[in-house]
Amino acid sequence: LFQKRADIYSVEIHGSKDLEKVDKGDEKENYKDLKGNRKKSKKQDDLRKELDLDDHKLSNEELEEKYSTSITKGLTSAKAAEILARDGPNALTPPKSTPEIIKFLKQMVGGFSLLLWAGALLCWIAFGIQFAQGVPSARDNLYLGIVLALVVILTGIFAYYQEAKSTNIMASFSKMIPQQALVLRNAEKKEISAEELVVGDIVEVKGGDRIPADIRIIFSQGCKVDNSSLTGESEPQSRSCEFTHDNPLETKNVAFYSTTCLEGTATGIVINTGDNTIIGRIASLASGVGNEKTPIALEIEHFVHIVAGVAISIVVLFFVIAVSMHYAVLDSIIFLIGIIVANVPEGLLATVTVSLSLTAKRMSKKNCLVKNLEAVETLGSTSIICSDKTGTLTQNRMTVAHLWFDNQIFSADTSEDQECQTFDQSSGTWSALSKIVTLCNRAEFRPGQEDTPIMKRIVVGDASETALLKFSEVILNDVMGVRTRNKKVTEIPFNSTNKFQLSIHETDDPNDKRFLLVMKGAPERILERCSTIMINGKEEPLDKERAEAFQTAYMEMGGLGERVLGFCHLYLPEDEFPDTYPFDTDSMNFPTSNLCFVGLLSMIDPPRSTVPDAVSKCRSAGIKVIMVTGDHPITAKAIAKSVGIISATSETVEDIAKRLNIPVEQVNKRDAKAAVVNGMELKDMTLEQLDDILANHSEIVFARTSPQQKLIIVEGCQRQDAVVAVTGDGVNDSPALKKADIGIAMGIAGSDAAKNAADMILLDDNFASIVTGVEEGRLIFDNLKKTIAYTLTKNIAELCPFLIYIIASIPLPIGTITILFIDLGTDIIPSVALAYEKAERDIMNRKPRHKKKDRLVNEQLAVYSYLQIGLLQSLGAFLAYFTVYAEQGFLPYTLLNIRTRWEDHSNNDLEDSYGQEWTMYQRTYLQWNGYTAFFVSITIQQVADLIIRKTRRNSIFQQGLFRNKVIWVGIFSQIAIALILCYGLGSVAALNFTPLRFQYWFVAMPYAILIWVYDEFRKLFIRQYPGSWWDKNMYY
Amino acid sequence: MAIEKEKKTCGQVMTEWKEFVWNPRTHEFMGRTGSSWALILLFYLVFYGFLTAMFTLTMWVMLQTMDAHLPKYQDRLSIPGMMIRPKTDALDITYNITNTETWDSYVKMLNNFLEPYNDSIQLANNDNCTPGRYNEQPDNNGVLNYPKRACRFNRTLLKECSGLNDTTFGYREGRPCILIKMNRVINFFPGANHTINVTCAAKKEEDVLKLGDMAMYPDNGNIDLMYFPYYGKKVHVNYTQPIVAVKFLNLTRDTDHNVECRINAANIVTADDDRDKFAGRVSFKIRIDKE
Repeated sequence: LFQKRADIYSVEIHGSKDLEKVDKGDEKENYKDLKGNRKKSKKQDDLRKELDLDDHKLSNEELEEKYSTSITKGLTSAKAAEILARDGPNALTPPKSTPEIIKFLKQMVGGFSLLLWAGALLCWIAFGIQFAQGVPSARDNLYLGIVLALVVILTGIFAYYQEAKSTNIMASFSKMIPQQALVLRNAEKKEISAEELVVGDIVEVKGGDRIPADIRIIFSQGCKVDNSSLTGESEPQSRSCEFTHDNPLETKNVAFYSTTCLEGTATGIVINTGDNTIIGRIASLASGVGNEKTPIALEIEHFVHIVAGVAISIVVLFFVIAVSMHYAVLDSIIFLIGIIVANVPEGLLATVTVSLSLTAKRMSKKNCLVKNLEAVETLGSTSIICSDKTGTLTQNRMTVAHLWFDNQIFSADTSEDQECQTFDQSSGTWSALSKIVTLCNRAEFRPGQEDTPIMKRIVVGDASETALLKFSEVILNDVMGVRTRNKKVTEIPFNSTNKFQLSIHETDDPNDKRFLLVMKGAPERILERCSTIMINGKEEPLDKERAEAFQTAYMEMGGLGERVLGFCHLYLPEDEFPDTYPFDTDSMNFPTSNLCFVGLLSMIDPPRSTVPDAVSKCRSAGIKVIMVTGDHPITAKAIAKSVGIISATSETVEDIAKRLNIPVEQVNKRDAKAAVVNGMELKDMTLEQLDDILANHSEIVFARTSPQQKLIIVEGCQRQDAVVAVTGDGVNDSPALKKADIGIAMGIAGSDAAKNAADMILLDDNFASIVTGVEEGRLIFDNLKKTIAYTLTKNIAELCPFLIYIIASIPLPIGTITILFIDLGTDIIPSVALAYEKAERDIMNRKPRHKKKDRLVNEQLAVYSYLQIGLLQSLGAFLAYFTVYAEQGFLPYTLLNIRTRWEDHSNNDLEDSYGQEWTMYQRTYLQWNGYTAFFVSITIQQVADLIIRKTRRNSIFQQGLFRNKVIWVGIFSQIAIALILCYGLGSVAALNFTPLRFQYWFVAMPYAILIWVYDEFRKLFIRQYPGSWWDKNMYY
Repeated sequence: MAIEKEKKTCGQVMTEWKEFVWNPRTHEFMGRTGSSWALILLFYLVFYGFLTAMFTLTMWVMLQTMDAHLPKYQDRLSIPGMMIRPKTDALDITYNITNTETWDSYVKMLNNFLEPYNDSIQLANNDNCTPGRYNEQPDNNGVLNYPKRACRFNRTLLKECSGLNDTTFGYREGRPCILIKMNRVINFFPGANHTINVTCAAKKEEDVLKLGDMAMYPDNGNIDLMYFPYYGKKVHVNYTQPIVAVKFLNLTRDTDHNVECRINAANIVTADDDRDKFAGRVSFKIRIDKE
């Protein structure tokens, strides 16, 4: 499995044997259906498969034959042109995109738009009819139609603008691609555009170049490449022409399109171009996976369906009633317009967007930059987080974690801002060890950083040496001083054959003229060279017992997934090695065996200190955290354990087998809570097996995974009906980021491709920020519920007037324009204000909502809003309406069945209850007065509604009436707008508002108070009798 | 795209729907069991019962504050409206002399309207009041002066337009009568102690000649102050609304005539309110076709 396992890992890695292989034929049957359903994504399936490449196994001759090329001459121009015509240019094909106009038009017909369009159309029809009849008020309908159309168009533009912001992923991939390539054609070297490269071309690359295609190396001189764009691991990898690994991604003789050649030169045969390259596949995968609807989009769709359903049924019902009551067509049309306008919460979609963007803004202050607004809520409903390890869970830098000397393991502080180390430093062995660590190290601080904290200083040197340098600097405070005092005489740098590093120094003790030889390296190699071991500062013979102790310690440290280094030293005898002794590193004219073993030091990329807490918060919030990493399983498991992704008490199948001392196959898989799955095992797994793992283990780590596998894991989670968040930074993560319900990219370490594919960016690369995001997401879901409940309530108060108008033939209590002023005027700010409401209970202690069961708008919410509070509001408003009419002379009984006479333009002597006679205009003005009273009453009761919607369960007094100041801004704005409409714009006839007598503002007050009191009782019963009938039917 | 939305077949939707309507396993009808339905219906019965009671109570309280004889506010009726008889759609009186049917309905309407103005009825029900001053009948220190008496307006006052001598109100010979009335407004004193009258004219000055002469009944189109104030339907039982008749003596045939009649009274401003075309005035169209 790991033939090429790094030498420093010496602990057995449990392979893939433990997972039973179910008959594959069966599996295919089972999944046939699933696959049959997606014929169109066949190409996608193809891309999903692991790269099938054997060019790295072929010899140069075989390659020449396969690609009909010549290593010395290259392709002929004619042949190249032919292949170019066949394969297409060596470039990434951008995905087909929907034309902007289609996207725009889609927004124009989505949501409530169709209903409103119907309303607008009816308005224009009504206008046409009335205009032909010469009705003086015909133009009102024309304007209303225009207003409705404007509402649709503006909402559409708003939504379109929101969506258009998502950037093109392909653009970021294109940036990574080189422009030019040096190619051998017709036996001549020439520079051509990289796009013209074809399979079989011989290309040369040198340090600094980007590899222009996937190439098989046929000649290399000290070539090192940076594969970080593919794998996310930024350590340079050497490239040569040897075939070193079965896996084409791991073998040394293949270099990939878009990766950078750091140093050296290499020549290679192009084996894949354009979309067929590794990066091309990733790019197509990333741009190809569809953007599925976000959970909140689905919820809003569901809500729109409910409202539209209610609207359409009422429209149909009342159309039938109107026809059977022998209303004229024109009248029926006007009823329909009213019903539609009353039923559709015109301002709601904009309100939701504003609420989401407010949350997004709040989140960006907490280092979560949200790119796709709807993702704000998605994070809240997340049930699985697939987290990357490096950089997200860990600090992304090697740090010394453990030390072993004097037969004892010491733990070092691995937190981000360590100032001192607290382990026991009194032993003589420690001073010897610290000297070796300090001296046998080529890393240096960049000058001029004395004021920066040690952990933040920039170091020149590789990761391990940096770790050691910082470690010793923290303890000794003056590494550079120690180094100058112990002048380096000579050194042998680390190389992969020796696997050690050695240097010889003068000592800082002026009386001691001996040289000090210090050495570090792979522990077993170091131990081989030692004959003594230092215990408590004294050299003692390295007997079998001591060697065993070393082995145990080494195993233990390796088992923690740490990179272990051994340290030894030797004081060279003064007589043999005088001051002037000519050390020669080539001939090694000094002893390199029989040294004194001093200790072991192990390093790890340690978890961020905030992560364990964040993981446990996720746990208690019912979110499963899965680690998906390209790193080794052991390291992955160790980090998983230390951050709590695998909890202290749970075991994997392998752990159980080891504990019970039985073969892995005999372990009952259900006993193991945790699972560590290797990418190689995953490759051979069927979808069903993967589902089984995802469903039955609560703590899962995927190690050594490829980008495709990350995608498969995400899809597996989504098959469990989970809402999946994926974190990632590399280009290789972009398909999974895109596929995830919410992709989270790293702001600091993240590549452009990852950031573009993601919905959210963690500006501080810190996993803990996700938790705050989850909290905000859950809060906004709850608050949107409140917003919608608030908004829906008054729809009934707007609708009832029309129904009563039709049935009882009273003068119209509220006009369509007035309704629009409520929906788009007074109600907007209060609805948004609910987004600022604090959580009622600890939202991080409940499970994530179930995608299909916990709906944003459920039956209870709709019923409670429509049939209870909404009705109460209507009654209050009707009371005001009847009061206004009665005080002007039309007592309620007179109003019944008055409609035809009331609306007859030629009837200018209509008698009221007292015998007075009214002209048409006098009546119309009274009707507008009625509209205004109705409007004001709804507004007043909406204030009560707003207050009760602050909480769904707690009493308002528990929540605090004044804690959310924005609510009060909402209330004041609501009243201010109503005042302006009444008294400021009361003289503008087209708006149908009139100044209203002051006392009418208070008519609906008893109902407003009743709404509040009733809702307090509702909440009280819900709190008192959880699980009761009341709770089930009244809690929304 | 791995889990594409499973497209449900029509059959599946139907079965799901059927199961929603009646689920035989759980005995649920529309998602609720029988007892659950009973409970929820009971709840709404009680809840709506309470709401009905509440609404009735608040309406009752509101109605208690109403005065039986006088509406609380009359600000909308500061300028009384005016109307004509016969009343037609869009106030358009068009007829053809030779075709009796075209004006028969007008005559009938006028006759019906004038029925209560018959001298006999007026004599029986109403008082003969002093002309030229308001017929005030105040309540005495809280003792209701009830019912209030109404003043006589005899049909004969309309003379040529009374329909007594000429039973077709002049429609037959092409000299039709139109009755003009002012809307009733409680406690309104039109004219502020000065005489008031109604005048009619062509809407546009150039049409004056075409419109020809008009005769007004009572003379000058006067409305006597004694018919005011009006005390309301309940107390002013047999109140007879004063009317003015206008007889078009010489209408040009086959032409649309737009006529406007307005009340001339000191305290009725008729010009300023453009929005209400019937405030203190009334416009109508009249046309007589010859053949």
